[in-house]
Amino acid sequence: MKKQILIMSAFMIGTFAACSQDKHEHHEKKEDAIVKTNADTKQTPTVNSKASASIREIVTKYIDLKNAFVNDNSNQAASAGKALESAFKNFDKKDLTPDQKKGYEDVQDDAREHAEHIGANGGNIEHQREHFVMLSKDIYDLIKALGSPQPLNKMFCPMANDGKGAFWLSEYKEVKNPYFGKKMMTCGTVKEEIK
Amino acid sequence: MGRIKKILFAILVVIIAIQFIQPARNKSGQVLQTDFSTTYDIPQDIFTLVKNACYDCHSNNTYYPWYSYLQPIRWQLDKHVQNGKKHLNLSEFGSLSSRKKNSRLKEMSNSIKDGTMPISSYASMHKNARLTEKDRELLIDWLEKTIAGLK
Repeated sequence: MKKQILIMSAFMIGTFAACSQDKHEHHEKKEDAIVKTNADTKQTPTVNSKASASIREIVTKYIDLKNAFVNDNSNQAASAGKALESAFKNFDKKDLTPDQKKGYEDVQDDAREHAEHIGANGGNIEHQREHFVMLSKDIYDLIKALGSPQPLNKMFCPMANDGKGAFWLSEYKEVKNPYFGKKMMTCGTVKEEIK
Repeated sequence: MGRIKKILFAILVVIIAIQFIQPARNKSGQVLQTDFSTTYDIPQDIFTLVKNACYDCHSNNTYYPWYSYLQPIRWQLDKHVQNGKKHLNLSEFGSLSSRKKNSRLKEMSNSIKDGTMPISSYASMHKNARLTEKDRELLIDWLEKTIAGLK
């Protein structure tokens, strides 16, 4: 038992050190590291009002979900997950261009399943967060295909996802980590600004 | 006959009657082109683990032990298989979009790591399906490598 505790604490110290080191490195290179997608979003297709209301709904629910994870609130995450699932269900894709439709449909099934899993697993926040890793990638790809209804930041924490790293989307630049919550709230850096 | 005897007799009749209800078995007997084993270049020893631990509920071919012919055990088993295939069907894995393949592999890795899969009640009845610590490591390692290779 003693040995286990020792190993555990050694591991914890290691991970914290790794994280702060990484942050430091990123800080120096911050200016280069942040990709501004402002310029190339000129080509991002603008979507008509109905579809754009649908995307707005998806992004809003995703942000709600992200904030529930920041607050370590599993049940709140579950209800946000359910809301996100219905946002996908109610998505109005009638007026999307063929390309946008393709982009949307590629993401839709997968994202809906992750939202459903998060909705069904209230009380098991670790499992919910595993799905949030994949969901965040889906939502990122979705707004890349359809354009974002609001400015967002792509944030990255190298410690999340079992040390393999994971990103999330945030409405602000301040680092509030949804994968660790108050355990490691400030792990992460801004990787990209999406306007 | 007393009332209790009548009730017991009725229960017995019902139990015997339901034995005749034998739903179609989940046993296609064929390995599809979309099978997990043909989708990836998977080493035989790893695939044996997947086959033994996952395929009963997550494919079109379930192995039915003798007690699976007894009701209501059979209904229970069918429910598990139905639910399992809904989330992951390894017989049709190749037909998923690459995004979904990626998610499924990740979910497999996560649930093996968490110990939620294979379900403990199932593993307790099936010796072959039990994964040792070493088996888990091997499987997770292969899954994570495959996921990394997809990106």
